[in-house]
Amino acid sequence: MIGLLSYLVFFATVAAILSIAVLGLNLQWGNTGLFNGGVVAFFGAGGYGTLILGGTPQADHLGGFALPYLIALSGGMAIAGLLAWGVGILTLRLRHDYLAIATFGVAVAFENLMRNAEGLAGGAKGLRGFERPLRQALGDGFTYNLLFLIFVLGLLIATYIFLERLIRSPYGRLLRAIREDETAAMSLGKNPARIRLAAFIAGSVIMGLAGGLYATFYAFISPQDVLPILTFQIWAMLIVGGAGNNKGAVMGTFLIWGAWTASGWGLSRFAPLEVQLYTGSLQFILIGVVIVGMLLWRPQGLFEEKLVVSQSGRAKHLKQQGVRE
Amino acid sequence: MTKTSFKRGVVAGLTTGMMMGGAALAQDCTTKIGAVLPTSVDWGKPIAATAQYAVDLANEAGGVAGCKVEMVLRDSQVDPKVGVDAAKALVDLDGVQMLLGAVSSGVSMPILTSVTVPAGVMQMSCCSSSTAFTGLSQEGKTKGLFYRTFATSGVQAAVGAMVARDQGYKSVAILYKNDDWGQDIGKLVAKDLEALGISVTGSVAINDAQPSYRAEVTEALKGNPEALYMAIYPKEGTSVVREWLSLGGTQNMIVANALKSDEFRDNVGLQYLGNTIGTDTASPRSESASAFVSQYTAKFGSEPNGPGLSNSYDATMIGLLAMEAAGTGATGTEIAAKVSAVTDPNGTPITADAAGFSKAKEVLAGGGTVFYQGATGNVRFDDNGDVSAPAVMWSFTETGTEETQYISLEEVDAFMASVK
Repeated sequence: MIGLLSYLVFFATVAAILSIAVLGLNLQWGNTGLFNGGVVAFFGAGGYGTLILGGTPQADHLGGFALPYLIALSGGMAIAGLLAWGVGILTLRLRHDYLAIATFGVAVAFENLMRNAEGLAGGAKGLRGFERPLRQALGDGFTYNLLFLIFVLGLLIATYIFLERLIRSPYGRLLRAIREDETAAMSLGKNPARIRLAAFIAGSVIMGLAGGLYATFYAFISPQDVLPILTFQIWAMLIVGGAGNNKGAVMGTFLIWGAWTASGWGLSRFAPLEVQLYTGSLQFILIGVVIVGMLLWRPQGLFEEKLVVSQSGRAKHLKQQGVRE
Repeated sequence: MTKTSFKRGVVAGLTTGMMMGGAALAQDCTTKIGAVLPTSVDWGKPIAATAQYAVDLANEAGGVAGCKVEMVLRDSQVDPKVGVDAAKALVDLDGVQMLLGAVSSGVSMPILTSVTVPAGVMQMSCCSSSTAFTGLSQEGKTKGLFYRTFATSGVQAAVGAMVARDQGYKSVAILYKNDDWGQDIGKLVAKDLEALGISVTGSVAINDAQPSYRAEVTEALKGNPEALYMAIYPKEGTSVVREWLSLGGTQNMIVANALKSDEFRDNVGLQYLGNTIGTDTASPRSESASAFVSQYTAKFGSEPNGPGLSNSYDATMIGLLAMEAAGTGATGTEIAAKVSAVTDPNGTPITADAAGFSKAKEVLAGGGTVFYQGATGNVRFDDNGDVSAPAVMWSFTETGTEETQYISLEEVDAFMASVK
């Protein structure tokens, strides 16, 4: 029983961390229409940044500044933001698939840089030597994981509320206007280039936060954590949940990650021994079928985007309608 | 009256049934061990199959600590998230106290730091080679729970350099897999070669799954080396060697154990591999090693030639022996503490098969210690859970590979000291 609870806490922590990254992507793709194919670069920048700033000194590479945890985490987010700023200035003039290809390239370059730049980030060995905050006081066991989950959930809720307010504000309306028709937005005197860049950076900082939490949770990060598969997983979560809907983004994450882990567990438990050696391949097929099925029969995702044109405007509009009727 | 007696009969029957069930349970109890291995990767499947084979042999010998052993296998997909989650599920939901895995250091490490060490579960890796584990252990952060049967890359790198010296090569180019194992071994072999006065004309990283390696091969061909050293995997190795030969590279090749594979030999063609010399940590000169090879061949229909197979076998066997030594219901910490009792050089030597396992059970039950003679040698762990090992040089043959020279542990150590 304790075992099950302990596992659920662990699962929820990973799912909540991934949810934050999916929320960041939702701001970029769901609300602003920016096709970021390099999620993992910003996720990784946050993770690596946090461990370099917050880790203990290591002999053969940069880092080990042992800064207090919250400063290291904010530093990781800032590094993700800086990377997004540079990448954004260079690539945001590109549209849709071109932007996707360019950002995908950035992510692959990021992974290769981390794999090869041993002096910067430990190379393929990865970064270790991070002391999880408050470990001395709380120990390593269940209590620690539970409190860390609460911390992560707190950040998830904060991010969620921030984004919900943002998209309901006039600024959110502007993001959607740019997504739907940039020329129209420009004709109203808006500067789409600047807004797109701002949304790109904001989304990437949120992904950086997720990366920082992820690296902290494992107290380790290596190039294997920033392979393109993570970008695809995060996209799958958003597509299944429903792009443009923050609730959908979070639900999609829990569902896909739940399906991913549960299918592995189920296959290892119930599949016959000869099949067990192929559980990995079977799992990929199962998840693939879910995503394809979703795209075929419910392309808007589990939770559709709720179009809020403008709260006050809508109220007036309805009143006028009522008067007319 | 009839009703009552009927009831009584049912109750009596149920009770007997439950008691019998209880007794049967005690006999057929099952101890679970966990395995997190990359079964979705071609070379990962045989590693898992070999571990399962070792478990089957232990069950043939009557199981461990009075119980049958069930290995719950989970796929790591070479994805740290997935591997860590699988390990956590095995520890929390299945209650395993001994975990085999993983293969990649990038997966084994987060499992160690966030799952097994916090939970006090013993972790035994067949194939993780990163020097980071040694560092972590020296800092006291593994709590003695981590062991691996994969000899540190130093041994193979040294023997690779020894081959170059023995063959009289004056210049060597190095191609290494761009991961922690490859980067490590590439750097070590370059250092050893230079210490021997052999010039290294170039050292090029090989990334996984590229459609072509022409650029890398061209780079390595610069400086016109007399020989090529490769620490890469069969799939990439096949493409690399094909391009290397087609661009006029030499057939003098030295390869690490990762290329000891039938797939590689068949895909490149034996006629091009005549001057290829491989290195590996050694099969020992004991009956148990040949027994392992013949048993494995009988079971799987081919010699154990893939990377990490003997390591996986030994990792599983030693883990199970330690569980036997620690007794029923032992925790991970208690099992880890017993590893020294089953790899004790002063203990009774035992072979790596079902008969050896039965003998070990007798000796351990009598309070003695045993010396496991495994498929990778007389495995002995140092304080950090690392192993050193004797080495062999081998070459490809029609049926598999054949050993050309055996280098004992003493010779390996002496040679490594000489190139330091």
